[in-house]
Amino acid sequence: MLNDREIYSTLDILNNAHLDVRTVTLGISLFDCVSDDLDRFKSNIRRKINFYAKDLVHICNRIGEKYGIEVVNKRISISPIAVAAAPFQENEMVEIAKTLDEAAEEVGVDFIGGFSALVEKGMTKSDKALIRSIPEALSSTQRVCASVNVASTREGINMDAVNMMAKTIKQAAHKTADKDGLACAKICVFSNIPPDIPFMAGAYLGVGEPDAVINVGVSGPGVVKNEIESALSSENETPDLGKLAELIKTTACKVTRVGELIGREVAKELGIPFGVCDLSLAPTPTVGDSVGEIFEALGLESIGLPGSTALLAMLNDAVKKGGAFASSHVGGLSGAFIPVSEDLNIARAAENGLLSIEKLEAMTCVCSVGLDMVAIPGDTSEEVLAGIIADEMAIGMINAKTTATRLIPVPGKKAGDKAFFGGLLGHASIIDVKNRTGKNNFVKFGGRIPAPIHSLKN
Amino acid sequence: MKKAIITSLTDDRPGVIALISSSLSKCGCNILQVSQTILWSEFAGIFIVSVPESIEESELKVKLDKDLRGENINIHVKPLSEKKMSSKPSDRFIVTTFGPDRQGLVAAVTSAIARHNSNVVNLRAVFEGGDNPKENVMIYEIDIPESENIKSLSEDLNSLADKYSLEINIQHKKIFDNITKI
Repeated sequence: MLNDREIYSTLDILNNAHLDVRTVTLGISLFDCVSDDLDRFKSNIRRKINFYAKDLVHICNRIGEKYGIEVVNKRISISPIAVAAAPFQENEMVEIAKTLDEAAEEVGVDFIGGFSALVEKGMTKSDKALIRSIPEALSSTQRVCASVNVASTREGINMDAVNMMAKTIKQAAHKTADKDGLACAKICVFSNIPPDIPFMAGAYLGVGEPDAVINVGVSGPGVVKNEIESALSSENETPDLGKLAELIKTTACKVTRVGELIGREVAKELGIPFGVCDLSLAPTPTVGDSVGEIFEALGLESIGLPGSTALLAMLNDAVKKGGAFASSHVGGLSGAFIPVSEDLNIARAAENGLLSIEKLEAMTCVCSVGLDMVAIPGDTSEEVLAGIIADEMAIGMINAKTTATRLIPVPGKKAGDKAFFGGLLGHASIIDVKNRTGKNNFVKFGGRIPAPIHSLKN
Repeated sequence: MKKAIITSLTDDRPGVIALISSSLSKCGCNILQVSQTILWSEFAGIFIVSVPESIEESELKVKLDKDLRGENINIHVKPLSEKKMSSKPSDRFIVTTFGPDRQGLVAAVTSAIARHNSNVVNLRAVFEGGDNPKENVMIYEIDIPESENIKSLSEDLNSLADKYSLEINIQHKKIFDNITKI
């Protein structure tokens, strides 16, 4: 029998904050679908996705209802298309993206991730074809997400790929100019991409993964904020930061336990293995579901002000510690997300000029993602864009961690203007970029920035 | 060996379980399961025991009453059939209610649970009055058969919540277990 205190504390978490499972992502390997015949390849991948995913949405909804914990998003990640579709050209890659979009629609998922290439050390013909196809592929589909890994601690930074991605992002923005460059919200450039991320837009299924696997993304910034606020408003002694970090840790632990329970049930019903729990604080553009609110609860007037990096370091670390204790298999990004447009308070900080791209970059040194959903002026040049990406990749490479960029150069708009992406992607004020149309001869050298000394571990 | 179930009711005091179990031992009974609780100042104990074939239930009751004479312990003896109640596959849920005390609350909630063929396996209810809703609490552990629609039970409970101005939650037990027990 549970004791009363256990029941009250659990009910507090369930009833007073947005506790949900942010995403259940079904990973599907497409390696056994390969063919050099485009029609056959397309029909193979469609059949395989349908075979594994046809009951995904239904089962997630049923299990969510049984446990009273909603599974907000049901998604699919697939093997990197640049590998699975190695024989194909740029225009054929677009056709494959359309098939993926249709397959995702058929089974009722909102995103399918894995229109991806892994090019940290070099690019094959198909890697180049895939990257060149991204602007057309993402502007002619709804659900497909692309990610390209251009750097790693082991291999260094592939600056040719960085330059190519800067060009790709500009083209994708231009092609979706009527929607404020929406296609760019579905393109992630990575350093050290994990093979099992359940969150979009960076999800893909790595090469060493099983034929099918369930990965779960738990969230819950609202739960953490509520716990902090109630600790601070209680009549007991005011807690110090050590105690607050402990509180965040135990809360993350509880949230992760729920996510893993749901993920394992879904995996069991689908008859496929459970992979990992990604314990991240992933916000949505809703009041009470914001990472920025945690900053305010912990005493900063706004995210972006001095103290933000220290606070985020503490938050990110406490989330990891709590989650690692709660789950036997932790993976993906696992930490706090700071996507500017997807978080009401972070978007407001950008709007009020309290959050600069430089401060965001500093904060990504201590959190689990990178420059995420950052809207920048549309006339930012390709080479400046490549410079921003290279900086972010360097942080990941040197610190042996994942970093990424999801930058949106909003066509025709300047710093301070608003960009609207809709739904979960939210809206944001465009952040200023210094010397945005200037020259950048450094990135133009191309080639590879060598891997750091600590890559020599063998 | 046959089995019997013995219930006992008396004022709670030190040594009460020792008294009853000593008497059972004297009668040749072996205790298989015991559950006891104290409500207010009353002790209630339920013992499942194995009874020697030579003793009838009526005889056992007479022996116990005689042995415990003067102790003011109310004893009831009932033979226990070997067969257990068949249980359908079910899920265990926790139903909690907070809110003002009213006559008929337990009856209303348990009737709703019963209408959905669900079985209460544990119940704690405390009504202390006062404004603090946590002083007027019912906590039920219930088994809901897999064939039942949880949503419809949940709707029934919600309409009770409206009628009695209660806050009612229904939640799968595994959620509590996973959050609180590591």
